[in-house]
Amino acid sequence: MRRELSMFAALVLMCIALTISNPDFAGHSNAINTIRQISMLGIYAIGSGFVIVTGGIDLSVGSMVGLTGVIIAKISSQAQGGMGLSLGLGIVVALAVVLLIGLGQGLLITRLKLQPFIVTLGGMLLIRGVSQTIVQGGTLSMGSSPLLKLANEGLFNVGGDPLLPYPAMIFLGVIALATYLLHFTVFGRYVYAIGGNRDAAQYSGINVNRVETSTYVISAGLAGVAGICYAAYIGQMSQQVGVAYELYAIAAVVLGGCSLRGGEGTVLGIVIGSAMMRVIDNGINMFQLRYNDPDGVPRLWRLNPNWTFIIVGAVILIAVILDQVVHIVQSARHVRHGAGPTQLASGGPPPAGAPPLEPRPAAPETARSP
Amino acid sequence: MPETVLDRPPLLQMRGIVKRFPGVTALDGVSLHLAPGEVLALMGENGAGKSTLMKILGGAYQPDEGEILIDGKRVVLDGVSEAKRLGIALIHQELMLAPNLDIAANIFLGNERAATLLAPLHRRELNRRALALLARTGLKLPPTTPVSTLTAGTMQMVEVAKALSLDARIIIMDEPTSSLTAGESEHLFAIIRQLKAEGIGIVYISHRMEEVLTLADRITVLRDGRYVGDIARADATTDAIVAMMVGRELKGQYFPPKSPAGVDAPAPAAQPPAAAAPDTGTAADPILKVEDLKVPGAPAGVSFSAARGEILGFAGLVGSGRTELMETIFGVTPAESGKMILDGKPYLPRAPRDAIERGVYLAPEDRKRHGLVLPMTIAENTSLASVGSYNRWGWLDRKTEKRVADAEVARLRTRTPSIRQKVVNLSGGNQQKVVLGKWLAMSPKVLILDEPTRGIDVGAKAEIYRHMAELAEQGIAIIMVSSDMEEIIGMSDRVVVMHERRIKGVLARRELTQQRIARLMTGHTDERGKGDAAA
Repeated sequence: MRRELSMFAALVLMCIALTISNPDFAGHSNAINTIRQISMLGIYAIGSGFVIVTGGIDLSVGSMVGLTGVIIAKISSQAQGGMGLSLGLGIVVALAVVLLIGLGQGLLITRLKLQPFIVTLGGMLLIRGVSQTIVQGGTLSMGSSPLLKLANEGLFNVGGDPLLPYPAMIFLGVIALATYLLHFTVFGRYVYAIGGNRDAAQYSGINVNRVETSTYVISAGLAGVAGICYAAYIGQMSQQVGVAYELYAIAAVVLGGCSLRGGEGTVLGIVIGSAMMRVIDNGINMFQLRYNDPDGVPRLWRLNPNWTFIIVGAVILIAVILDQVVHIVQSARHVRHGAGPTQLASGGPPPAGAPPLEPRPAAPETARSP
Repeated sequence: MPETVLDRPPLLQMRGIVKRFPGVTALDGVSLHLAPGEVLALMGENGAGKSTLMKILGGAYQPDEGEILIDGKRVVLDGVSEAKRLGIALIHQELMLAPNLDIAANIFLGNERAATLLAPLHRRELNRRALALLARTGLKLPPTTPVSTLTAGTMQMVEVAKALSLDARIIIMDEPTSSLTAGESEHLFAIIRQLKAEGIGIVYISHRMEEVLTLADRITVLRDGRYVGDIARADATTDAIVAMMVGRELKGQYFPPKSPAGVDAPAPAAQPPAAAAPDTGTAADPILKVEDLKVPGAPAGVSFSAARGEILGFAGLVGSGRTELMETIFGVTPAESGKMILDGKPYLPRAPRDAIERGVYLAPEDRKRHGLVLPMTIAENTSLASVGSYNRWGWLDRKTEKRVADAEVARLRTRTPSIRQKVVNLSGGNQQKVVLGKWLAMSPKVLILDEPTRGIDVGAKAEIYRHMAELAEQGIAIIMVSSDMEEIIGMSDRVVVMHERRIKGVLARRELTQQRIARLMTGHTDERGKGDAAA
């Protein structure tokens, strides 16, 4: 929880600083939009988190987010290029397709023992190409689909904006479900065991293949759910929707304290990591400093939006560097204080103590040196 | 075990087991049987098929031919979970625990007794049951302790608790003591005797003869995938077992004789023990002198020296700081303070390449992780540490590489079809020879061997010992870290004993007894004279 706590503290500090620099940051229009963005990222980042905790990686998430929207637009859009069928059908087909892709990738990884990186890299390109083919290189409008309400409406309207947009509600549902799955079920225990020591999991009789495949299905499914939200939010589907989202997801997961080696991390951490990513994104737009120019005219200094990736990249690096430094310092301190803990109740080699159950046999003859 | 003959069927019977892998027949008609409450030692050189046989029994492999009977009933072990259901628990040599989970989670991993995967995990209940199981193994730790913080011995106990949690009737232990200290091993043996009393049958795989002779009721020997024979404990002797394992009598000493020209020179030997005592810390003709060297994390500096042609043993418990000290001497973790003198010149390595430049080499404890690049060939591994010197006009000189590798393979008698063989396919003993060959190709001055024979079978062990003695005779100082008391006593000219990262004492060859070393290892001060009287 150390990582989660410190990231949460950093997040709160960042929000306070941004609010002081620009009160609009906490204004309900910006705040609600940021919450919507956090939610949509968080939904598929949690999916990626399942895969990463097993020690795998899913690079196809962004492409699946895009494909979901493209399929929905193709099937249910009344606008040009759409088939004009029902929205429900579009959503069902889109989710079924991405779940199947997730299943396929999972099976390739677990049955054929292919590396997750390669399989999902191939999947990422292939799915992107399918999206591109469906939209024929252009855009597909959602038209005036009722789906658009999903992103823009919600509960508790205040001055035209919903305090709780639907994506945030979906996100809360996903958080609850994922927390239960990962932290309170046997399945979750297996996910961690696989990430911690795959052989141990295998030899404990766990159906490693099935559990691992499930994580890719979960990742795909949540990418699909996020894809529905993005389709609703953007309204215009092109091949560009979802490009590089998988990297945002991985960044959020790592910021939230997961290790790419697997076996570590929490849903709460991923949520905080997602919030961090989006607040930074938003903060780059919102941050401003008031100053007076040499003529005494008050002016605003803003961050150059071209620095976005520099700042996001730097934040990720600083976070992992700090974490590692803390880790090194702690383990050094551990070595210094607790050298050789005595863990056996009856410890001690030969003369020190007898085993608890029956008398120790006479020390065997070993001195066979010439 | 005469009762296995009649009326009551044995707990376990394996008959005519055949297992083929592409290109090799790992097991060729192997049979064994086990009675309740019996400890059966399964012995054989590496590659004899012990592990394969046990993986079949554990459900990890399926046999190509043969049958397995439990309580006289034929069973098909088509998976780890099926074997577990039938009460067979396999404790692997490489401990199979998830370090990121706590003790209770590991004990019940795969055995949570939940209706479905999505059912909630009853942590409190599992912790409560774990506590009871831990008590049976003599561990006094909360079940919520993360496994990553445990010592090897404690992890072994967690594995035993895990086997107990399955209500196992057959427990297979594959070299359980290979990373345990003497005390931890004793503890394990006590647990084994208790399990035996409860009627659990135990298959015990070990290379350590003394363990087998004290623990086992019966010994089954395999060689080259074939069943060689059974021998009851009453009839078992080291020589008889070794003869069965290697198929020939191992002539002469297990440990090579030491030339008297060694360090334990006649001069100190002639003196009374009390007078010799203060001198044992320094060698007669030191090539490496370590003075007040402070290893990062250690409470204080250590001083010792090693002489040309000497085998200097380092005894101590796991975690006593021997490996860390060696890593500092090899430059892996640079020293915080203190100094070293190598060959008369100051020596303070900041990285392994500094050490290698000066002729100080380390064959690490975990050779698969730190000593070898497993997917590379013998030739590539041999040239790895000095690959810069195989440079000809920017090209890697494969001809010289081959020549050097061939020479080392011949010198160490590494058993391999060719130097183009990938190291991963070699047995443990031959892998260790490749590590040795890598350093020998570079004419070492000081050769540090950390657990040189861990996981290596008897035949190969004797060979490694012979090579060590030969190298020492050539004037190389060999520093040998070992947790194997026989090896320490049999091989060392002097023994440095460490306890909690300090040097507790240095014993000369004639002072070496298991009792004296063990006392020092556990932090007791040496009682000179007493030990000599016993020896």
